[in-house]
Amino acid sequence: MAGPALVTERLDTQVGSIELQRGGPPDGPAIVYLHSAQGEGQSLMFLDRLAERHAVVAPQFPGFGESEGLDQIDDMDDAVFHLLDLWDRLDLGAPCIVGLSLGGWMAVEMATRYPDKVGALVLVNPAGLYLQGHEIGDIFGRSPGELARDLFHDQDHPVAQMMHALNELTADVGKRIEIPFEVVKPIATTLAATAKLGWDPYLHNPKLPRRLWRIGCPTLVVHGAEDQLIPPAHCAYYTEHIAGARQVEVTDAGHMLPWEKPDELAQLVGGFLR
Amino acid sequence: MRVFSFHLMPYPGLPDDYDGPAWVTCPNRLFDPQLGSQLYNRYIDELVYAEEMGFDGVCVNEHHQNAYGLMPSPNLIASALARETSRVKIAVVGNALPLYDPPTRVAEEFAMIDNISGGRLIAGFVVGGGPEYYSFSINPAFAREKFQEAHDLIMQAWTQPGPGEFIGKHYRLRYLNTWPRPVQQPHPEIWIPGAGSVETMEFVARHRYAYMGIPYFHFSIFERTFGMFRDICREQGGYEPDPLQAGWLTPIYVAETDEQARAEYEPHFWYWVRKLLPGITIQPPGYTSVRSLQNILRGAGHFAINLETWDQVVDGRYAIVGSPETVTEILVDSLERLETGNLLGLFQLGSLPGAETQRNLQLFGEEILPVLKERFPDGAPMRAAARAATGADGVRS
Repeated sequence: MAGPALVTERLDTQVGSIELQRGGPPDGPAIVYLHSAQGEGQSLMFLDRLAERHAVVAPQFPGFGESEGLDQIDDMDDAVFHLLDLWDRLDLGAPCIVGLSLGGWMAVEMATRYPDKVGALVLVNPAGLYLQGHEIGDIFGRSPGELARDLFHDQDHPVAQMMHALNELTADVGKRIEIPFEVVKPIATTLAATAKLGWDPYLHNPKLPRRLWRIGCPTLVVHGAEDQLIPPAHCAYYTEHIAGARQVEVTDAGHMLPWEKPDELAQLVGGFLR
Repeated sequence: MRVFSFHLMPYPGLPDDYDGPAWVTCPNRLFDPQLGSQLYNRYIDELVYAEEMGFDGVCVNEHHQNAYGLMPSPNLIASALARETSRVKIAVVGNALPLYDPPTRVAEEFAMIDNISGGRLIAGFVVGGGPEYYSFSINPAFAREKFQEAHDLIMQAWTQPGPGEFIGKHYRLRYLNTWPRPVQQPHPEIWIPGAGSVETMEFVARHRYAYMGIPYFHFSIFERTFGMFRDICREQGGYEPDPLQAGWLTPIYVAETDEQARAEYEPHFWYWVRKLLPGITIQPPGYTSVRSLQNILRGAGHFAINLETWDQVVDGRYAIVGSPETVTEILVDSLERLETGNLLGLFQLGSLPGAETQRNLQLFGEEILPVLKERFPDGAPMRAAARAATGADGVRS
């Protein structure tokens, strides 16, 4: 069954005008997708699959894509308040949040603080924790090619290929002769947005572990078995410390699971919500 | 004009087979403390010698966790210089303000140096290099905000009666009341180094501070940068900038002949390019505004790290190397074109040894410095055409 394609909309929020993808049957179960530091959302096949049966909303966080308002956001605390604003403006109630990596962390922050605003959680290779001996890999100061090796199991994936092609546009800006600014600009702005949330402490909130007990909604933790960025201990920790959480391993998938396994992930989410 | 001797205090002992970065992750087991002890004392001596050779001032700067420059605290070196010299200006270019929390410490230490030196400090404020944000885990997304706020705090500490209060976004001090106060009133001369960021130029122009073109770019990039700075002073500040509001940093090496100079200097220059620059250009996220990033990226290909041949070095004036006649000629032409009233020369670079460095300073001090002083008298325009229009002695008619 082919559902309606997602459409791009703009929404005025307290911090500025943001961009979001929306689609699916309006009376279907509501899903909010929170993207990773890569800012994926546009033309994401995974979201198209979800929208066959669910009312999908995928906001672009300020600083990502064409979303404004990053100057009003300094940290994860501000990010959660931005989500509250979105929830109210879109009348989302208590939807399921599907969050990848940075988005997974944001989903946990929302669910620990405002459990009544989250109906279900799907955490895909979520960030948010510091586990000694299981540190999250570096995403700042890496070349796109190095990052692609950590993010993708399949180095032939079109996005991984694109990142390898951009490899000359590395963190080491001096080693280059001509740099197309329009290529650098989105990378620079999304990394700047991510830095605000996760430069220090690095992609985690030290207080998060002692707040996980507050999450009472059904929770599914999805782990890409070949994730090279976030060690498996992170998924395991969430699964162990969120009451009733269940974990699923997806084989032949790395960190960017929604890109690499769109059908499988959509089926997992659909089955979990049924 | 004023001539300064700038020292980076580099580490010359990286092994031949080391090809990693000199910054952030350069393993510190490569630092030999015995060699380090000799280096610090030798480098301080080289700065002190500049006073003897008639320089107007000496410059030190701040970098962390790297082999490129061994001054995590330039203030320590500056305080030693305050005692070991008696006449020269001591320019700390600068303290990386966002790395001091609270930045009250900068107001205090700079005031101490100004007191010890009897009012010879030039206070440099810098955002800090990209690598510093990795080395200190300071969030680069707040680099500019913190710099701005720290600057305001320091200036309040120096110019407003204490005790006062400073309540900002990043720094909150209920009691701001720094002891000592600087000898130079209302405050020491302020220098701000920049790499082409528009925001930095606007900031310097607004406060009428001095803009230092520090990074090692092709000469054409410096021409554009200082031109932009003067335009911003005129268009946004509504004033004609004094040449002393700009400074140009360049490596300089003088020997008896051009051939000798190149032969003695070249291997040490390449040590600097190939061993000490790798890693310096890392751009942490949010460190630069998108507007400025565009301008900086335009210069990126012209940064010294890309150099491969000596011809490129000569053509781009990445270093001014040769006999006294050659170096004088190139410097005069360069200063006329850049109109920078401060020349910051690097007389030691990379692995250049002590004997060569000292002779370099001596030849420059004896043969070149007096010529530059005569050619570019204070208060006169620096461009040849403008000078001609106002009379050969530089006095405006």
